[in-house]
Amino acid sequence: MAISRRAFMKAGGLALVSLGADPIFLDRAAYALKTAGGTGSARKTLVCLFQRGAVDGLSMIVPAGDPWYWQERSRIALPKEQLVSLDGMFALHPRLAPLKPLWDQHSLAIVHAVGSPSTTRSHFDAQDYMESGTPDVKSTPDGWANRYCNHPEEHASTPFRAVAFGPQLPRTMAGSAPSLAIDDLRTFGMRAAQASGEVKLTRAFEELYQGAATGLVASSSAESFEAIKMLKTANPTAMPPANGAVYGKSKLANSLQQIAQLIKADLGVEIAFVDVGGWDTHVNQGADQGQLAGRLDELAGALAAFTTDLGEQMRDVVVITMSEFGRTVKENGTSGTDHGHGTAMMIMGGNVQGGKVYGRWPGLSPEQRYEGRDLAVTTDFRSVFSEVLQGHLGPANISQVFPGFDHPAKVGMFG
Amino acid sequence: MKCIIPVLGLGLRLAAPLPAQAPMTAIDSARHVLSRLAYGATPGEIEAIAHDGVMKWVDRQLGFSDVHDPALADLERGFDVLHVSRLEMQDLQQKNQAKVQQAQAIGDSAARQRLLDEIRTEQQGGRRSLQALIAQLQTVTLVRAVQSDRQLDEILVDFWTNHFNVFINKGQDRPYFADYLDRTIRGHSLGRFEDLLVATAKSPAMLFYLDNAESVADGSDQRLAAMQRGHGGVRPFPAIGRGRGIFPNPRPGVFPQNGADPMTPTQLAAKQRAPRGLNENYARELMELHTLGVDGGYSQQDVIAVARILTGWGIDRKDAAYTFRDAVHDNQSKMVLGQQFSGGHGEDEGMRLLKMLANEPATMHHVSAQLCARFVNDVPPDGCIDDAVHAWQKSGGDIREVVRAILHSPDFWASVNVQSKVKTPLEFVVSALRAVNGTPDSTPRLAQRVGQLGEPLFQHATPDGYGERQQDWVNSGALLARMNFAVQLAGGKMPGAVVDLDRVVAVTDDHAALIAAVDKAVLGGAMTQRTRETILKELADVPDPRMARALAVGLAIGGPEFQRQ
Repeated sequence: MAISRRAFMKAGGLALVSLGADPIFLDRAAYALKTAGGTGSARKTLVCLFQRGAVDGLSMIVPAGDPWYWQERSRIALPKEQLVSLDGMFALHPRLAPLKPLWDQHSLAIVHAVGSPSTTRSHFDAQDYMESGTPDVKSTPDGWANRYCNHPEEHASTPFRAVAFGPQLPRTMAGSAPSLAIDDLRTFGMRAAQASGEVKLTRAFEELYQGAATGLVASSSAESFEAIKMLKTANPTAMPPANGAVYGKSKLANSLQQIAQLIKADLGVEIAFVDVGGWDTHVNQGADQGQLAGRLDELAGALAAFTTDLGEQMRDVVVITMSEFGRTVKENGTSGTDHGHGTAMMIMGGNVQGGKVYGRWPGLSPEQRYEGRDLAVTTDFRSVFSEVLQGHLGPANISQVFPGFDHPAKVGMFG
Repeated sequence: MKCIIPVLGLGLRLAAPLPAQAPMTAIDSARHVLSRLAYGATPGEIEAIAHDGVMKWVDRQLGFSDVHDPALADLERGFDVLHVSRLEMQDLQQKNQAKVQQAQAIGDSAARQRLLDEIRTEQQGGRRSLQALIAQLQTVTLVRAVQSDRQLDEILVDFWTNHFNVFINKGQDRPYFADYLDRTIRGHSLGRFEDLLVATAKSPAMLFYLDNAESVADGSDQRLAAMQRGHGGVRPFPAIGRGRGIFPNPRPGVFPQNGADPMTPTQLAAKQRAPRGLNENYARELMELHTLGVDGGYSQQDVIAVARILTGWGIDRKDAAYTFRDAVHDNQSKMVLGQQFSGGHGEDEGMRLLKMLANEPATMHHVSAQLCARFVNDVPPDGCIDDAVHAWQKSGGDIREVVRAILHSPDFWASVNVQSKVKTPLEFVVSALRAVNGTPDSTPRLAQRVGQLGEPLFQHATPDGYGERQQDWVNSGALLARMNFAVQLAGGKMPGAVVDLDRVVAVTDDHAALIAAVDKAVLGGAMTQRTRETILKELADVPDPRMARALAVGLAIGGPEFQRQ
């Protein structure tokens, strides 16, 4: 039983009962009504982009003003003339040039020398800590985004409140609050050779679960069918990119496009998650060309398309990039970099006070480095996450989201 | 009326008030044991066990070594991974790494890529490549779960694999894991807990996964360096690898695509470096997860002391085997849980410690509660935990006796606990295959499907293992994925599974008869009236009897009753 939002608004809501809508859908329809109209909607969305494999922050956001950068990276330093200068000290990797307009509009902020207090150089542990939000504590059962979603807000009335793009729910979103793992919006739901088969199977299973499911299976299956219905009604995947945005063909671009579609369809996404790999550049990392340049090209292209596509709506959307740690200051013997410590994060959209690199720069001379080899961490990643949550999504109980982290330092991205 | 045991069990309990319930029929009891001590019933199995005696079947499962299964043994022979040693696996990994490294060094990018692609193809296609062997391990795990007659043993292997979780994609665990699963875990699944604990503590897989191999007494680094100088540069023992720098594919569910851990010279140099000091990782998980439990009454000081006692427990990379290195062992005295461990006893200190931990009351309670959560209810009832702990004390930690006590506990048979648990993705897939007499083929495709449903085998990155509670598995996307799986399987279109519905449900135009047959074969007669009516309604516009049968079976397996056990 699909019902369009417009039909619901015309009918004034009451007619729904006679249409046989179940109570959850009534909530959802009312929710959709409340947030309808687009203009002035206060619905805020946070998009988390995890660069798995430890991105070389020094190539992404180049500390061009630090002589040690040039000294330690004779083979992989970027050609000076190609750097996209930001503020005299820092510059963007040339392949990140598509993001420069955001910087100029003050909607792209950067935090450098950011990372975890944990000393681990294991991807495995460091990703786990960044996702659980509890460095050096392995027993934390849930992810920080899920703990955030535990607060009883109106977003709870949509199954799309926390959505991860991928086959599995990432650790960041694991936990007791409902969250959706979607590999691809276009295939979410029942699959059959013919559309009529899909409709039949969806109807049959919905009736089966309404009839005989109990407990969590009942409520979750109701969420599933609700999500299917909402997708069918809103049909987000039919929305073409706006403002001439061109998404590439990568998995990341596809996921970001679908996140934009969910946002534009006003389905109530509060936190979206997507990850992108390929940053573990031990060998032949390259400079303006090569491995890393290719990955950054894809990243910048997808992000630029996303922000262009959403246009004015980026006011209500913040994207944050993260990676488990950075890489060695000095290039290694195979023209790559090894596992390091501090790295850089990009925060764009919303009310972020962009056009600025935040965080204290510790310097790259050997004695300024962490253990003599890595960019030191001067900003705890949890301080950045806390500020984004509070500055963008609204009040949050930080000691609940990041247990044991009682005193986030002020980074200043939201004033 | 064969099933008097539950009633007997009730009589044995004095102070456990249980809700009034109708006695279970033999069929109900058979269905219950098959859903908890096995990966669900195969068609006709419930009736057969009800006929022969439920407790007779249970006892046979507990004495699993007497259950001969020549058909399975035949199947297992086809899986090379069961016959390859850790050392051979390690050689494969090293050879592959060397090849990748050579390829990476090629200056011409087109030529480099060509060679890397060749290596990848070789890894994926080769019968004896490390990647192929690991895929085989997943496949044979499904084959055993579906087809083994020793079902309870398969359940316990899965339970212990999660209790003593190791992440197969962490560096050296790729070559070590098969041996860990097949010998360390499987070899002790129904033995004494203490033996299992010691076996895991000495397994290269665990030593690497939780970093004990790199944990050395503070200050022993310098001692070693001095020794090396004294020996004219000859190392007193082979280098211990950190090896953690490698993480070819952090996304669970997909194995590394190039099948190789590229090793740069700097990494190799790092690997030659002796470890630097104490690492508490294993010590903490040993107490928190493997034995005492998080509330088991130990302190941070105990964690440090345990780590110090276990310094020297490492991996000899030359033989890919456990070794004790006295040179890096902490020889000072230590205190754990109020017990003095005087220094200078080397490896014996660790053995004494593990035996002590294995027999702590907190351990008995913690592990018994987990077993009860697996066999009885997500929230394990106190009564059956007590029964299990009692059996533990009496038998000296004989897992068989502990499990036996749980199965005889009134809680196990209480109606409130029947059908109270939700299947894990593995349990769902395996029980679905069993329900339709299906078999996994020899490809990794079915295992990949288990991964897509949320439980990629042996790829739980954190040491706590996969969860046992319904909230770990039930989410909206996951349920839809199960429904799609069911429809695909019933339609005979599941890659990796061989299904012949003719052996399960006869083709008929009589929809009511069809549904009754599906209920009996697939759900063991547990179909609700509502489900029956819904399926009947959906069959109305399906004229083709074969399609009607596939739809009925798909709806039954994808429906709510089948998600529970």
